[in-house]
Amino acid sequence: MLRMALSVLAALIVIFSLWESYKWMGQQTGDAWPGTSVELPVSTDDIIMPHAVDIVGELFADIRDGRATLPLIVFLAKKAWFTFQEAAIGFFLGSAIGLGLAILMLRWRFAERGLLPWINVSQTIPLIALAPIVVTWGRHQNLPDIASIALISTFLTFFPVAVSALRGLQSPTPEHVELMRSYAAPWWTTLVKLRLPSARPYLFPAFKIAATLSVVGAIVGEISIGTKTGLGRATLEFAQRYAVWPERLYASVIGSAFLGLTVFGLVTLVERRVLRRAEG
Amino acid sequence: MSTAIGGTTREHAVCIDSVDMAFNVGNDDEVQALSSIDLQIEQGEFVSLIGPSGCGKSTMLRLIGDLLTPTSGSVSVFGKPAHDARVDQDYGMVFQHPGLFDWRRVRANIELPLELHDWSKADRTDRSAEMLQLVKLDGFGEYYPRQLSGGMKQRVSIARALSFSPRLLLMDEPFGALDEMTREHMQGELLRIWKETGTTVVFVTHSIPESAFLSNRVVVLSARPGEVNSVIDVNLGERTPDTREDPKFFQTTTEIREALRAVEGAV
Repeated sequence: MLRMALSVLAALIVIFSLWESYKWMGQQTGDAWPGTSVELPVSTDDIIMPHAVDIVGELFADIRDGRATLPLIVFLAKKAWFTFQEAAIGFFLGSAIGLGLAILMLRWRFAERGLLPWINVSQTIPLIALAPIVVTWGRHQNLPDIASIALISTFLTFFPVAVSALRGLQSPTPEHVELMRSYAAPWWTTLVKLRLPSARPYLFPAFKIAATLSVVGAIVGEISIGTKTGLGRATLEFAQRYAVWPERLYASVIGSAFLGLTVFGLVTLVERRVLRRAEG
Repeated sequence: MSTAIGGTTREHAVCIDSVDMAFNVGNDDEVQALSSIDLQIEQGEFVSLIGPSGCGKSTMLRLIGDLLTPTSGSVSVFGKPAHDARVDQDYGMVFQHPGLFDWRRVRANIELPLELHDWSKADRTDRSAEMLQLVKLDGFGEYYPRQLSGGMKQRVSIARALSFSPRLLLMDEPFGALDEMTREHMQGELLRIWKETGTTVVFVTHSIPESAFLSNRVVVLSARPGEVNSVIDVNLGERTPDTREDPKFFQTTTEIREALRAVEGAV
């Protein structure tokens, strides 16, 4: 865990150094490649690229949240906690649905033929179109918005899990399957003792993708639903005032990235525990 | 199928009765794998199936184990249909690849069939310890399969197959992936285990010396469709490392080789 935190810190330092070097170069040459009049792809003024130090500094500057005044970093953490809950529901629900669909497709060949194309097609539905449908339906059912947002997040997370889980469940060799058959093991036993353990190396990468996607889903869900709180909401507000206060938007982007890293890290921790644990 | 002498019944371990086996029946790629196979195996026998590759020897083993169902004819194991024998756990199976579950320790791999049949934890632990001793892997119970050599893995696989004391052991080229030295050593070990447990063994191989060294009888199959070409009795007495240098061993391998050559010449 410490190593992971250190590598994140190291990566941040590298990115900030590159950011500042590029900005410094642009400022020296008037946004041209050194020694040429060819323009840089991104101009380096303080609106497009505020100083890294200012972005970090902004994290500790005060912001008004309702009646209270608090540092931006605390403000973001509070919003992130809300978003994290939506993402967590989306992650667990999506993973469960994905795994369930994979087992269904494993059990019945016709289910695989019937479902798999639709599972693929489902991911081409734009979230912006999906969100109002889910929200309107949710409000009709008297669901809180957090549930609707979690559902949108679920919609993104079930996909990688379903596809990878199916491959993982099908990964045992014919000899492994014959062995279980020679023991006259019923289908469920074979699933639990052979197929699910064999699927673990396929499942965890999918869980990691799903964890990151669950945050994306929650943030996009918040924005398209128009909730009052959450990291997505904060990002939307800061985006609208980007031209006058760019540091804040960048700071909120860092907040989102941090949340993504956190959920990714959590899944990695669970993976290590599970893969280390021996059976029997 | 069974002979009753003075009220006691001693069934054949395996009885294959005019079995035909075809794959993809009715399709363009229909293959006749086995044709009119008749074979009886006595209890306690060690029988090898040998033949050119693709002759259906593995198919035959899977028919005995009810992992495949014959197109026609019948297979019985200890006097009952192969299906019942499988459900009753009358046989253990060893494949060419050890097929261990790499997420389980060696001990847990050996205990897998016991676990599936609801043995108590204490009984399982006792039995796996016994089995580790039988295959001379004491002290390796807590290892993971990836930490073992190929020969050791195959010993674990044999221990797993024998853990529930089946009366029949089905082996599909179990030493095929091992180097020559390990292979000969494992053959000696298998004969020791066979004697200690009194299990009937059906052994698929494509190695002539292996079949001669191990078996009471060698069944030579012809290819496409597989038919029983000849059954060679092997009388080499007690096997020792010196058996391999015995002129009688040489005679036996020659006999098997000639039977195989006749079969391959016909292809």
